[in-house]
Amino acid sequence: MTVAGYQIQLRRRASLPGWKAAMFSFLALLFGLLLFSLIFLLADQSPREIYKQIFGYAFFNSYGLRLSINRFIFLAFASYAFIIPFRAGLWNIGMPGQLYMGALASFGVVYLLGGKTGELSISQPLLLAMLVLAAMLAGALVGGLAGFLKGKWNVNEIVVTMMLNFIAFYFVSFMIKDGGPFMNLGGRGESFELPEVARAPLLAGFPYTLLMVFALMFALQALFARMSLGYQIRAFGKSPLAARYAGVKPFWISIMVFVLGGAFAGLAGYHYFAAVPGVYKIARTYGYFGDLSFYGIICGLISLGNPIATLFIALLFGGLSIGGRYAQGKLHLGFGVDYALMGVLMISLVAFQFFYNYQIAITKKDS
Amino acid sequence: MKTRDDVGGRPPSPHVSYIVQTMRSRMFKKKALETSELHNDIWQNIRPGEVLLEARGITKRYPGGVLANDAIHFEIEAGEIHAVLGENGAGKTTLMSILFGLVQPDEGEIRVRGRPVRFRSPEDAIKMGIGMVHQHRKLVPAHSVLENILLGHPKSRGVIKVREAEEEIVAIAERYGFKVDPRARVWQLTEGEKQVVEIVKALYRGAKILILDEPTSALTPVETERLLESIETMTQDALGVVPFITHKLPMVLAISDQVTILRRGKVVDRLSRAVATEQILAQKMVGRPVIFDLQRPDVEPGEPVIHVQNLSARNNKGFLAVKDVSFTVREGEILGIAGVAGNGQHELAETLFGMRPAESGHIFFQGRDITQASILERWKLGMGYTPAERTEVGSIGDFSLTENVAMNYYFDARYNRSGFLDYRGLRRLTEDIIAEYDVVAPSPEVKIQTLSGGNLQKIILGRVLSRRPKLLIANLPAQGLDVGATEFVQRKLLEARSHKAAVILISEDLDEILSLSDWVAPMYEGEIVDILPAAKAKKDIIGAMIAGLHQEN
Repeated sequence: MTVAGYQIQLRRRASLPGWKAAMFSFLALLFGLLLFSLIFLLADQSPREIYKQIFGYAFFNSYGLRLSINRFIFLAFASYAFIIPFRAGLWNIGMPGQLYMGALASFGVVYLLGGKTGELSISQPLLLAMLVLAAMLAGALVGGLAGFLKGKWNVNEIVVTMMLNFIAFYFVSFMIKDGGPFMNLGGRGESFELPEVARAPLLAGFPYTLLMVFALMFALQALFARMSLGYQIRAFGKSPLAARYAGVKPFWISIMVFVLGGAFAGLAGYHYFAAVPGVYKIARTYGYFGDLSFYGIICGLISLGNPIATLFIALLFGGLSIGGRYAQGKLHLGFGVDYALMGVLMISLVAFQFFYNYQIAITKKDS
Repeated sequence: MKTRDDVGGRPPSPHVSYIVQTMRSRMFKKKALETSELHNDIWQNIRPGEVLLEARGITKRYPGGVLANDAIHFEIEAGEIHAVLGENGAGKTTLMSILFGLVQPDEGEIRVRGRPVRFRSPEDAIKMGIGMVHQHRKLVPAHSVLENILLGHPKSRGVIKVREAEEEIVAIAERYGFKVDPRARVWQLTEGEKQVVEIVKALYRGAKILILDEPTSALTPVETERLLESIETMTQDALGVVPFITHKLPMVLAISDQVTILRRGKVVDRLSRAVATEQILAQKMVGRPVIFDLQRPDVEPGEPVIHVQNLSARNNKGFLAVKDVSFTVREGEILGIAGVAGNGQHELAETLFGMRPAESGHIFFQGRDITQASILERWKLGMGYTPAERTEVGSIGDFSLTENVAMNYYFDARYNRSGFLDYRGLRRLTEDIIAEYDVVAPSPEVKIQTLSGGNLQKIILGRVLSRRPKLLIANLPAQGLDVGATEFVQRKLLEARSHKAAVILISEDLDEILSLSDWVAPMYEGEIVDILPAAKAKKDIIGAMIAGLHQEN
């Protein structure tokens, strides 16, 4: 295309440095916010005031920040549960099911030790380790089932993980409602509350699962950048045929990624139902957190499966979901504005990935 | 899209008369093309020897500054076979696409019998009597030959007179000595027969100039001969035939009256058959002298490396594609498996490397039964495979060169320390391969999909050979490569042989098989017809065997 003697061309990029990718994401964010201001303007509201409320509450209010970080931890685990299979070219849509089962397993440990009715006489570190391991194991089993079916008989993993969500959802209902074994003694259709000793310790007001997120980030970064297993996962994800030719075993990869992914989803379940202050039970509204975990797919896709970039996206959406709801209530905004804003930002972030592959070159046209 | 000619380099002027003028000229041009009388007129009274099609100063520049065609002059006379010769990337495909209306040139003009024409699409080109036979056949497999020929034909809009059409098609085929069964389904045909269908289709549409893309690449020697005879007959009818050929120089000399040689988008020379030799053509095409006789040093064969016993395997459709195959290859030997595409060589290679399960039979590697061994075990044991599908199987386009080299080393204790890969060491290894194999690549960190076909194959071959395999299975190692890269790949195979590796070479190019192999095993319909020592493997015998014409004595 030529405009006023200047030639504008689209060129394919050969490579893209990390800081540029980050810059484009930041620009995408600004663009999305600007775009959404139009909607606020149409509703006769000041975008500046609204954004101040949203971001102020989510990140600069000590109470809001704690809520945001709890959401962030949850989304980070859910994202990692998605990313691992995603890098192998497989789709884990089963975070809800995996996290429900993870949460149930944690509560199951307490239940078996008699913590539903009485106090537990067990050292806290040991108990916490058992809860975490049980959650990871249960998530891994549910995920691994999908991986096994995929690897052995090439059963579509999206269908399997999705269907397992329903099974797990109703299994939780069975356990916590209508006289289920985990039902609260008061009979409110909720699980029993964790005894004091089983509750996660707080570090500066945040659950210690926050540390796990950062540990996982380093571990996954090393897995993909340096380890043989990560290399095989990436190779399989880019080209299953070529990976197979190179000796990678598809069955093994399918199992591994879903076991790992499921374990991380299990952690998300543990985090929200056993580590977030003030919860410590599987509430009646547990389905909401299952749905929330789908944001892990969004985070994983926007960050293109990068374990570090994912955390920034998870923090953003964790904060927005808290701040957006707060601003909506405070400023009497329309219903669903918080989700609409998140949706616009997602589309904007994904659209800007165009610039990951292309650049626009403007050159003076010589006659 | 506007070309430079349209606007003459000037910015569009708002002046009304200018616009009217432009519109008029456009309308006129369009009209001229669509008038069918013109088509009928233009092909009246062709005299042998007159220029049918002329391309003048064709220039095409692709985005990114690649000059694919640089002021190319080319003309084809009636009754002439005019080959266009050039390596991959020399601009053949671009020129062909321009002549057929698939690509518009930036500069230059095309004239049909002296009249300037502009092809906006293949439809325009077909209307002007140009027919094209693609290398990769564009037919509907489930349909009959007749249906394929009628498909998209202008006459076939509305009611089709099937019987008349069939008679006409049979008449055309008979005239040029083609054997076509109009009722046969395309999927039942061999590659050679499919090509005949494409040619008849073009002729039925009234082609006077026939462009053939690598016409003999998938044919058996017998089919090739038949095709050449038919082409000769066509030229007697004052048709022009333009075969585009990459590397089959003997074939160029056998059929062409004229040869135009392209290199780097330019016409290097135009020669008549009388003065052209294989040496001259190759030298002009590559730009430097080419050695044709590969040095095949004497290597004393050693222990048997691979022994295959009554091996059978199925293809993707579930049919038996490898039938009861047995052979042995020893250290320092090359076994050449000759055959036309689709006769089971591909399935044999995959079965040997464990990428396809064996239906029955055994594979012994250094005395050990590996029939059930995994692909990874085979790599570790010292087997190596270079697949024919270099971009789909042999490499991962999105990965860097280093990561592609890692495909053969991620499991190797030298580069895998308790689960962690030594990327720095792998990068050094990649740099070594780049240097030794003369790979043109800016750095080991670029994505491998940016490499040309020849350089890609060099990386794949270098990666596999750097493991010093005891057995190398090379599946179509030089297919589609230019003369220079082909020569290089073949030298490397001989080098592996000198290093006492056993090599199984699968190729559809008989000359390649004969010049490299110690033993030649022609394959036909899944069976190995015979295994002949190099001294007894004569081209005509092997050619008959791979065409299924071998008579048991």
